[in-house]
Amino acid sequence: MSLAELFSLLPVLVLAGASLLVLMLGLWLKHLPSLVALGVAACAAAGALAVLVPPEVMEVGGMFSAARYARFFLVLWAGVVAWTLLSSVRYAAARRFQPGEWVSLLLFAGAGMALLSAATSLVGMFLGLEAFTLVLYILIAFHRGSAAGTEAGLKYLVLGVTATAVLAFGVALVYASAGTFHLPEAMAGVAGDSPLRPLGLLGWGMLLVAIGFKVSLVPFHLWTPDVYQGAPAPVAGLLAAGSKGAMFSAVVGLLAGIGLGLRDLTPVLWALSGLSMLLGTLAALRQENVKRMLAYSSVVHMGFVLMGLLDAGPEGQEAVVFYLVFYALVSLGAFGVLTAFSGEEGEPQQLAAFRGAGYRHPFLAAALAVFMLALAGVPPTGGFMAKLGVFAAAIRAGHLPLALVGVLASLVSLVYYLKLVIAMYMSAEGAPPSGSPLHRGTRLEAACVGVCLLGVLLLGLAPGALLDWIGSLL
Amino acid sequence: MAHFHADFPWLLALCAFPLLGALACLALRRSDAACRVAGLVVSLVVLGVCGWLFVLLGGPRGTGWLLHEDLAWIPRLGARLTLGLDGLSLVLVLLTACLVVVGVLVSWRREKRAVPLFYALLLTLESGILGVFLSLDLLLFYLFWEIMLIPMFFLIGIWGHERRVYAAVKFFLFTLAGSLLMLLAILGVYLAHGHQTGEYTFALAALQNTILPAGWAPWLYAAFLLAFAVKVPLVPLHTWLPDAHTEAPTAGSVILAGLLLKTGVYGLIRFGFPLFPGPARDSLPWLAALGLAGLFWGAWVAFRQQDAKRLVAYSSVSHMGLVVLGLAVATPIACEGSFLQMLNHGLSTGALFALVGMIAERAGTRRLDELGGLWARAPVLAGFFLFFALAAMGLPGLNNFAGEFLVLVGAFRAEPWLGALGAAGMVFAAAYMLRLMQGVLWGPPRSAEPWRDLSLREGLVLAPLAVLVLWLGTHPATFQDPFRELARVLAASLGGAGGAP
Repeated sequence: MSLAELFSLLPVLVLAGASLLVLMLGLWLKHLPSLVALGVAACAAAGALAVLVPPEVMEVGGMFSAARYARFFLVLWAGVVAWTLLSSVRYAAARRFQPGEWVSLLLFAGAGMALLSAATSLVGMFLGLEAFTLVLYILIAFHRGSAAGTEAGLKYLVLGVTATAVLAFGVALVYASAGTFHLPEAMAGVAGDSPLRPLGLLGWGMLLVAIGFKVSLVPFHLWTPDVYQGAPAPVAGLLAAGSKGAMFSAVVGLLAGIGLGLRDLTPVLWALSGLSMLLGTLAALRQENVKRMLAYSSVVHMGFVLMGLLDAGPEGQEAVVFYLVFYALVSLGAFGVLTAFSGEEGEPQQLAAFRGAGYRHPFLAAALAVFMLALAGVPPTGGFMAKLGVFAAAIRAGHLPLALVGVLASLVSLVYYLKLVIAMYMSAEGAPPSGSPLHRGTRLEAACVGVCLLGVLLLGLAPGALLDWIGSLL
Repeated sequence: MAHFHADFPWLLALCAFPLLGALACLALRRSDAACRVAGLVVSLVVLGVCGWLFVLLGGPRGTGWLLHEDLAWIPRLGARLTLGLDGLSLVLVLLTACLVVVGVLVSWRREKRAVPLFYALLLTLESGILGVFLSLDLLLFYLFWEIMLIPMFFLIGIWGHERRVYAAVKFFLFTLAGSLLMLLAILGVYLAHGHQTGEYTFALAALQNTILPAGWAPWLYAAFLLAFAVKVPLVPLHTWLPDAHTEAPTAGSVILAGLLLKTGVYGLIRFGFPLFPGPARDSLPWLAALGLAGLFWGAWVAFRQQDAKRLVAYSSVSHMGLVVLGLAVATPIACEGSFLQMLNHGLSTGALFALVGMIAERAGTRRLDELGGLWARAPVLAGFFLFFALAAMGLPGLNNFAGEFLVLVGAFRAEPWLGALGAAGMVFAAAYMLRLMQGVLWGPPRSAEPWRDLSLREGLVLAPLAVLVLWLGTHPATFQDPFRELARVLAASLGGAGGAP
């Protein structure tokens, strides 16, 4: 690897390096806020480098891109990690998380996600994916006092390892059919005239299964509710915002390379998307636990993103990227509110715990209500613009029935999002929340939530700038 | 437009100003009194601006835009902040400003919980309604259309009566079901237009000229129609209305009945008909049938209600049926009558909801068999009640008569039996209104405790409305002039007298 290549990879290296540094420092320095400050500084540095310093080569080692698309996502993931670090200071301290490990692992997850978004070869994709999945196994079970967390970690580990095996097998098959790992070319094996087409298609199918696991598409979503429920709220936020988004940002690259082969995959993608939207919605309807509800809601949203991907043109990809940015913001926000509401022990998870929160915690509850409406896709939030984009993509690609399924899912999903809003604002008068009272949230947490709130509203009212930016990436 | 600073986006400012007021209410959340005053001041300023616009721009007008603004918004999608004011929107904007002030005043002492949030939502609602009446860009319109929805959901759900959450969710789901399909239809027109011309835009003026692929137009029109018909509401999509109107707080009912129902008709006139003229013409017989069905069904169900508020709610279904009938017969006179009737219904029903709220506040019940004797206990209040009930019934000289008369004349000209049926519907209206008056006004008082008669604040709400009702009844031309030409053009585009079944 030449110096120029290393230089082009510098932003990721900053994240990974900072992760190692914090890990070492953490052996002596047990002061969480200063380590968090260091981590946030590293994220800021990585983001600034990515924006300000142009790369010398556009591709590193035939595996990772340093082009605008990759840099865009690097900035996004660095922001997500910095946000998670900042919003979870009190949460982590209250649960006596090891400061060094906590900050270090989060930074490393950011580096892994950035790598995944930048992957231009199947090996690069595999590396990036495993880098942050491994970290997530640990982060999900990070709270040692929590049995649910351990269970969730184990579940994610077992299913994740299975998915990894399937992914590796799929990569091998694609390689066998095309003779290369590099992305646009590796898909040549799927093209109509290739003699090894069956092999390539099988490989593709396995890739899809693995991807389905990671982003939790029906029928590969079964781990999602348990893991969301058991994982610490900040980690669940990272899982929703970052890991799924990073995976999908790589899938955009995958599908861009496949060209005409997309036609053969369309029925499969169609079914995955439709099933995710429908079954995810139905399952979410029955949840009384907010985190489980959000888990199923993420299944539905991933179905929406996939719907956008069915339009292979640049408009479809733009819609998907916009959706991912929106979804990152809104998930962080929603889990950020849960983090802020969490007391010394445990988190508020049952709907009943939120009763009357709208009057006791005006700002956080209002923010959460906006996030719920945004998830439901109601204007003037970013959720509406995001859904508009994927609906347009689906209609453009000639999948009106799928768009109708999406409309149905949006409509029904409103019921469960409103459940939380109703609990916060319209529950029986004077009904005390059951269980321990909600925490008031610190100023820092409120500020973090405020950033997401502002972002979600801006994406709905003035999405022009972001759309233009995304348009320049593809 | 020499009086204006032409560069200043007046209409956009008009839509945004109540939103700023809403933010101010949230900022002033420590003091309930300050929020009330802020709400009143903001709504009065909007009323002032709208009244000023009416004075300046009213009078006989052609079909052009009285004011038109076009600012960049989302260039990549081809969506722009395009707003326009013509004779019809001028009148409706004025109605909006009036009824929001009414809403603020009737809630003054009544709503005691979470006051800042209440006024913030009320003002946000005003922004949404004004935006709906002014937008000419389909995406912007849709945005405002949904912005109306959220505050109303909260107003019903938080400050409503016993079954408020049920009513609020039902209202939200019904409306959203229609509007999501409309969103798909908007996208359909948008994509078809972009495909044809290479220019992707949400501008109504451009999309009107789209030649849609064969077979698309009826479906797209159906989606628009569904969204608007839920809002109007047309029978059989009206079932959310009685629940929402009955459970909503007084201000919510006033605005729901007075304004939100009008947005449905307005959407049909502004977007549904011009975008899909062919299917629109084909749908007129159906619209006429549904309008008539609403007229009779609403009246019949209203007649059978025990709850005064529910009775008024169903009377809205009946009145809106007549408005739709007027559009569906598509003669210039009938269309003009429909436009006028939108204004009339907004005023008289808004006033009736306010009155029912005032009476329920005193009596603690809204049931007709438990009310009664108002005349003996609070004669001024009873006088106003009688006045507005007679207006709603269509007494000549009061506002509803003028509009109803025009609709019926227009219907007679197009198709005599339609006019005859419509006139029969009026008799029904008399029946339920008489029952309401009988139940509330006459008979012996049911309890001995004395009632406060009309307070000054309540008088300030009702007296201006009464003046307007009289004005519209005796000299409707003031309000008719701005949209007379528009009604003629609409009727012509819908196929003139041939539109009736």
